[in-house]
Amino acid sequence: MAAAIIEGAGLEAYYQEREAYPPRPDGFGADWDAYPVAVGKDGLCEIRLQVDRLRCASCVWVTENVLQRTEGVAEATLSYSTGRARVRWDPEKVKLGEVAGRISTLGYRPRILGEESEPDRDLLIRLGVAAFAAVNIMMLSAALYTGWLGGMDSRYVTLFQWISLALAAPIALWCAEPFFVGAVSGIRHRVLHMDLPIALGVAVLFGHGLVVTVTSGDTYLDSMGMLVTLLLGGRVLESRGRRRASEAATAMAATAPATGRKRVGDGVEVVPSDELEVGDLLDVAAGEELAADGIVDAGHGNLRMALISGESKPVEAQVGSRVVAGSVLVDGFLTVRVSAVGRETVLQQMADQLKLSADRGVRPAVTDRIAPWFTGLTLLVASVTFLGWLFFADLEKALLSAVAVLVVACPCALALARPLAAAAGLGAAARRGLVFRSGDALLEMESVSLVALDKTGTVTAGDLEVVEAENEALRIASGLERFSAHPIARAITRAAVERGIPLPVPEEVQEEAGFGIRGRVDGREWEIRSGGPGKVLVKGGVGSAVGGEGEGEGAGAGARTPETSWTITLGDRVRDDSRAVVGAVLGTGREVILLTGDVQEVAERMAAEAGIDQALARMDPNEKADWIRSRRGDGDRVLFAGDGMNDGPGLAQADVGIAMGTGAASSILVADGVISVPSLKPIMAGFRAAEAAADSIRKNEVRSIGYNIAAVTLAASGLVNPLIAAILMPLSSGMVIWGASRVEKVVAAGDSA
Amino acid sequence: MDAIFFLLPIAVLLGAVFAILFVVAVKRGQFDDLDDPPRRILKDD
Repeated sequence: MAAAIIEGAGLEAYYQEREAYPPRPDGFGADWDAYPVAVGKDGLCEIRLQVDRLRCASCVWVTENVLQRTEGVAEATLSYSTGRARVRWDPEKVKLGEVAGRISTLGYRPRILGEESEPDRDLLIRLGVAAFAAVNIMMLSAALYTGWLGGMDSRYVTLFQWISLALAAPIALWCAEPFFVGAVSGIRHRVLHMDLPIALGVAVLFGHGLVVTVTSGDTYLDSMGMLVTLLLGGRVLESRGRRRASEAATAMAATAPATGRKRVGDGVEVVPSDELEVGDLLDVAAGEELAADGIVDAGHGNLRMALISGESKPVEAQVGSRVVAGSVLVDGFLTVRVSAVGRETVLQQMADQLKLSADRGVRPAVTDRIAPWFTGLTLLVASVTFLGWLFFADLEKALLSAVAVLVVACPCALALARPLAAAAGLGAAARRGLVFRSGDALLEMESVSLVALDKTGTVTAGDLEVVEAENEALRIASGLERFSAHPIARAITRAAVERGIPLPVPEEVQEEAGFGIRGRVDGREWEIRSGGPGKVLVKGGVGSAVGGEGEGEGAGAGARTPETSWTITLGDRVRDDSRAVVGAVLGTGREVILLTGDVQEVAERMAAEAGIDQALARMDPNEKADWIRSRRGDGDRVLFAGDGMNDGPGLAQADVGIAMGTGAASSILVADGVISVPSLKPIMAGFRAAEAAADSIRKNEVRSIGYNIAAVTLAASGLVNPLIAAILMPLSSGMVIWGASRVEKVVAAGDSA
Repeated sequence: MDAIFFLLPIAVLLGAVFAILFVVAVKRGQFDDLDDPPRRILKDD
């Protein structure tokens, strides 16, 4: 459909005409063609770009289509939610500068991903100038209106009007430029943008003001100034909110550490991770994080790869093992030969891959859908008014009434409704621990009908906990493990302390990476080692004839003299507040389901504990994603919350993907929202914020359309003059601002409930 | 009352000076980050 519209719009000719691209705007120093890009095996280059200033869903497909039609570009995809584009092109046929140039020509700003995001200073300056001029025009108008009621020397009227015009000129000609740019690009692409009625209104108001000032009559310049100021204010708020949300979510994605300890000759030097090269040797001590991917050259230890897999259980690494950036060495010592750094690391590659697989249909905002009708109708009413008055009265009356229609119909309140409410909703959700990348993602949440939750790290705390153990086993084990930093050791010690067991003092403790721990407690030899998944064996009496304490029929082998053997079962624990949150979500009439890779039995137990009545077990990451896709196909709108790399495909596939801030970096990078506290509660806050914002938008749209119908009727019957317009307009905008300011109150009211 | 013919433009020009000051401040990045600087004083490093 997109292609048809582009073709229909005769864009072909337009793009062929554009031989030379206009110089890039200021502050855009990078010389695109000089940017080093590696040529892939298939002879194509690939780059990821961040495209700023996308305004709507149609901007996205226009950009994609224009790029795909460029000679030499093999592939171009652009995501609306993140503004990130991936372009693959043939360096023989087209240069990167031209690709970037095409995006710039459309009015958007491409930049190489990873560069600092540009704060929207330009919009803020326009807002400042517009506000200054508008306030002064309003003061002059107030004087004119009082003069108009009480009689005023025509010399002063002329002076006031000329100064008003001088102040209005920068507003109309410069401050309002973004609206004109949007309207013109909308027309070019045969899309009626919200900017079109705005631009039309500003143009008519200023044109009318210009003519009237030169001849005589009353101007609407104060209304114009206020209109542009309020709309720019809305844009500034929206762009700030979006940038902050997006930065917060990205910042939360913990990435590989910034430095690594590199072997240089006989010594070791700390170097930034982006200066590491393939082939370097890195030293990694217990507790350190890997700065690059590599192969273990020497040493032995256990790695915790939660950042990649979301699994908290450590994995053993020995000479020859492949290890990845972002994993933490729990114990032991490794020397790693670097095999990939920076963007080439598994962590980054997988995240990039997932981001691209995110497939969310973008639904155009209601406001954008209304805009074409709205514009068409306004123009129709204005024409009818003009013709009607021309027929029944004279040309002057006809012109004035038609202008009045266009003035009062300018959809200031309508255009403000969405950005204001979305910004308020984003703020309300963020204060409660759920940070969204964009207002659209938040608003999507309102229509969610199915909430799918991952088990580990989402419904559960994700940490190892002792599930089953005898006190004596725990006592001995905690004695041996009390000084170890291993997650299993910590869980055992924590459990012993919780049960009030005094920790014995061990002797001759030996911790052996990848094997376990051994030592003496109460004069007896003990060893602790793995007893299969989720189980730890505590064996005692090795080489000793004393036995007897282990008479219970523990989960393991029980008492067996002369050797004693116990099993401690470790597992995950449902978060304290998960049950309450699940209950609350079910209370809103939404379906809740648990998706996990774990076995049926565990899945059902955890689901029951969390109050979820449906659980799907043994789902691998792709099955989760497929399942979500099929439910979406059935018409459900799916929210998926997860925390691991393995949840990435699911997060990318869901209508709303929410990652746990403590989870894998990769999952955070593909998610729409991130929960920044260790709890599921923010999900409910998110639902409330989304509902309050959506409700505010709907009400405000109804209010502003109602206002427009009333005002246009008045104007068409020739009853609106500039004074009445100046009173009506702030009323409708004020109504919308008041409506949006209630979002926080509504969300706060639900906090206690 | 004729004073208004030069007082009014002067007043507007004075206002414009402040508008220009605002533009300069924005260009120098004074408004880029409104959240972090107030908290920075609490961080010790």
